[in-house]
Amino acid sequence: MLLDTTDFPDNHEIRADIIIVGAGAAGITMALDLIGCNQSVLLFESGGLEKEPATQHLYAGAVVDARLHSPPDRYRQRRLGGTTTIWGGRCMPLDPIDFEVRDYVAGSGWPITYTDVEPFYARANALCEAGAFAYTTDATFGPAALPIVAGFTSPDYSTHRLERFSCPTNFAARYGHKLRGRHNVQVVLHANLTQIVLDENGTQVRQLLLRTLSGRRLTARGGRYVLATGGLEAARLLLANRDRHPRGIGNQHDIVGRYYMCHVAGTIGAIQFACPTSAVYRGYRMSPEGVYCRQRFSLEESAQRREGIGNFIARLHHPRITDPAHRSAILSLLYLAKPLIPYEYQQRLHGADGNSPGDWLRHVTNVVTGPIEAASFTWHMVRDRMLAERKFPSIIINSKANLYSIDFHAEQYPNAASRVLLDDTVDALGMPRIKIDWRYLPEDVHTVSRALEILARDFAASGVGQLHYDPALVETEITRYGAYGGHHIGTARMGSDPRSSVVDANCRLHAVNNLYVAGSAVFPTSSQANPTLTIVALALRLAAHLSRMEALR
Amino acid sequence: MIGEKIVVYGAASPLGRRVLDALRANQHINPVVADRLNREALRTAVRDADIVINATMGSAAAISLAAKRLFEALRGEAPSKRLVHVSSMTVYGNAVGQCNETSPPVEPLGKYAAAHIAAETEAQGFSQMVILRPGVEYGPGCEAWSGRVAAWLAHRRIGDLGAGGDGYCNLIFIDDLVHAVLAAMRSPAAAGRVFNVAMAGPPTWNEYLIAYAIALGATPARRMTRRRWTLETRLLAPPLKVAELTVGRFPFIARQLPSPIPPSFRHLCAQTIQLDVTAAEEILGLNWTPLIAGLRAAATAYGLVVRR
Repeated sequence: MLLDTTDFPDNHEIRADIIIVGAGAAGITMALDLIGCNQSVLLFESGGLEKEPATQHLYAGAVVDARLHSPPDRYRQRRLGGTTTIWGGRCMPLDPIDFEVRDYVAGSGWPITYTDVEPFYARANALCEAGAFAYTTDATFGPAALPIVAGFTSPDYSTHRLERFSCPTNFAARYGHKLRGRHNVQVVLHANLTQIVLDENGTQVRQLLLRTLSGRRLTARGGRYVLATGGLEAARLLLANRDRHPRGIGNQHDIVGRYYMCHVAGTIGAIQFACPTSAVYRGYRMSPEGVYCRQRFSLEESAQRREGIGNFIARLHHPRITDPAHRSAILSLLYLAKPLIPYEYQQRLHGADGNSPGDWLRHVTNVVTGPIEAASFTWHMVRDRMLAERKFPSIIINSKANLYSIDFHAEQYPNAASRVLLDDTVDALGMPRIKIDWRYLPEDVHTVSRALEILARDFAASGVGQLHYDPALVETEITRYGAYGGHHIGTARMGSDPRSSVVDANCRLHAVNNLYVAGSAVFPTSSQANPTLTIVALALRLAAHLSRMEALR
Repeated sequence: MIGEKIVVYGAASPLGRRVLDALRANQHINPVVADRLNREALRTAVRDADIVINATMGSAAAISLAAKRLFEALRGEAPSKRLVHVSSMTVYGNAVGQCNETSPPVEPLGKYAAAHIAAETEAQGFSQMVILRPGVEYGPGCEAWSGRVAAWLAHRRIGDLGAGGDGYCNLIFIDDLVHAVLAAMRSPAAAGRVFNVAMAGPPTWNEYLIAYAIALGATPARRMTRRRWTLETRLLAPPLKVAELTVGRFPFIARQLPSPIPPSFRHLCAQTIQLDVTAAEEILGLNWTPLIAGLRAAATAYGLVVRR
C-alpha cells in the first residue's frame, strides 16, 4: 500500500516487524521480496512520486575538492525509486576475486564469498530487467558469438565477458503497482529519518523519528531496522546520530564514512587497428531475450594476482568528444547539444579542450559537413533511446578509420583517508550536511597504468593494432572527470572485525543488534563492476536473512 | 476398462481431440462423439454411457449451448455416472493472489466467466461429477494460447510487456490437461470435487512470452512500450476484430489480416492470480510438463508461423 505521511495524524506512531528507510534499488527490492511474508513491513521514503527540489536539496552538501567529486546532490535522487530513476542501467556481477583477501590490496576481503551472493544474482538480474544471469558470450549468444577484435588473443585479458543493460529500470515506475497492492508492505512517502533512537545501552534501536519538510512528525517502532539510503546517506545518518554513541552509531572505531570509494575511470590513448573495420565490433548486441549486451576486455584474475593490481576492464571507445579534431558529425552534435543532456550524462561533454570559439566553430563545421550522419544518428537516438522503453545504452560510433580510444573502469583501492564526514551546516530538517573528501591512492594509478601496458602489449603481440598513449597522462585521465559519478561505496563496510568494519556478514551493525545497512555502503571493496546489480542481490540476501530471523523469533 | 462406454462432448476442441486420441489408443474403448447428435440421440448416448466428458472450449455462447444440451440430456440419469466437466480458471474473475478451489469469484465477471460459472453450477448437480478448472492451455493444437501468440511474437507485436506482463501465466500443457481428464475419469477420490489444473510455480506472462519467443526463434524478444501495448489492445483491437468478423468468410483475405490482441488478453497478462494446484497433484496424481519442454513442443507445432 502506498501512503503519505499526511495520511497519519501528527506525532503518530506506526509499528511494523521490519522497517526499511529509503525506497531506492535496495529498499524497493527488499520490500518486493517481503511481500506476502508473515511480517509487517514499512518502507519509508523521503521524497514523493516525482522529483521535488526542496526534498532533493536535503542531499546538498560540500565537496573538499570539486574537481575530484561531483556535488552530493548530483547522481542520486531523493524520491520513490531513488537513483534508479536516473541510472544508466549497466549490470554485471562482482567477480569471485573481489571477495577475497588480497595481500596486495590493503583492506580487501569480504566476510562472505561470491558463492554466498551468487544465489541471489539471477533474481537481481530479473528485477533489473537485464535478462538471464548469463555474463559470457557463450552462455548468451552460443558459439556464433563474435569477438570484439578478430585475431586479438591475450593470456591476461578475456573478451568473452559481457555487461548487460537494464532498460534502465526505474524501480518506482516498474514496480510501483506491486507496492500499491494490498499486502503486508506499506510504503510511506515524504518521511525523512531524522533520529535513530537507541536504548540505554546503545545496542538496540528503540524507534525512529521521522519528519516532513512541513514539520509533521512520525514515530516508527519495529523489530528490525534497515538503512537503505545509499552509500552517502547511510554514513550521514549513522554519523549524525550521536545520542548514545558520541562518534555516531556504529562508529566506535572511526570507520563509518571512511574507505569511501567510487571507481577509477577514464578514456585514454588511440588504437589504430590494422585489421579490416569489419573485424572490430565494439557495439551492443541484443541477447535473445532482448537485452543489450556488450563485450569488454576483462583483466583475468591470474593477471591481477601476478601483477598485484586491482580489478580492471576496458572497452573500445570513440575519441574525446570535446576535441573537434575527431571530425565526427555525431560527436560534435552531442557536444553542441550538451545543454539538453542531463547533468549525469554531460560529464564527458565538458573539458579543457573544445571550449574556445574556434573549437565551437569546428564542431559546427563537423555537423554541417556530415548532415546525413548527424540526421541518421539523431533518428536512431529518438527511436531507440528517447521513445524506447529498453533504451539504447550509449553512444556507439564505429570509426571508418578504425581508430579508437580506450575507456577503462577500474577498482578503487580502499583508503581510510577517503571519506564522507559531517559538515558544519545543516539542512532544512536540522540534519548535518555531508562533506565529501574523496581521495585515491598511487595504487589506483598503478592498477590502470599496468593494466594498460598489458593491453597495449597484447594488442601489439596479436598484430591487430597499436595502442598509443602517454603513460605520464594516466593520472590526468583518471582525474579528468573526477570520481566516477553515482557509485558510492564502502562507507559502512562489511567485515568480521568491529575494529575495521561497520556491519557483519549479514549487513547488521556490529554495535547495534537490530540495525542493518543495505546498499553499496557495505561493500568493503569496489570491484570493477558497477554496483547496482550487487546492491539488489545483497538486498535480496538481506531480505531472506530478515525473514529467517523473524521466523525464528 | 473393457467395454466401458464413454461419451465425449466438445470433441472438436483441442482438448476434445486429444482426449479422443488418448481414449482410442485403448483398443477396448470406442468413445462416442456427441457434439452433433440431436437431442434424442444425445440422450440415448449419455444414458448408455459410464462416463461423460464435457471438453467444450470456445466462446461463452458455445460453453452455454454445450452445457444446456449436455446437462439436459443427463438429467434423470443414474447418479453413479461419472461426469468430467472441463471448466476454466476464468470462474475466479478478477481475483488476485493464490486461488484454491473454494475461492469465490471476484467481480466484474465477463460473459465468458459467467458462462463457465453457470455451467459449473449445472454440473455440480451430479454427485459423481469432477470439475477441472484449467489455466492457460498451451502446446500443439492450442491455437488460442500457442498459435496466435506465436504469430504475435513472430510479428513482434508482443514480447516483454514490462509491468503489463507481471501477472502469472497459469499454463497447462495440453497433454497434462488430457492426463487430468483421464485421471478425473478414474479417481474414486475425485468424485464431487473441483480441481485447479495448471503447472505449479507458473511463470509470469513476461517470462512465458520471452521463453516462447526464444523457443520459436523469434528473437530478440521485443520490449513493448506502454504506448504500443495500448495501441494494440485498445485502439487496433476493435477494428481488427470487426474486420476479422467481416471477412471471415473469405479465408484468403482473412489470413492477410493481423489477428487482434484483445483487451481481455491485456487484462489477463497483468492479473496476479496464481492457481493453487495442490489438490490436483495430491488427488489426481498429476505431474506437470516442464515449461521448456512444453514450449519446445509448441514451437515445433507453430514454428511455421515464424518462418513465414
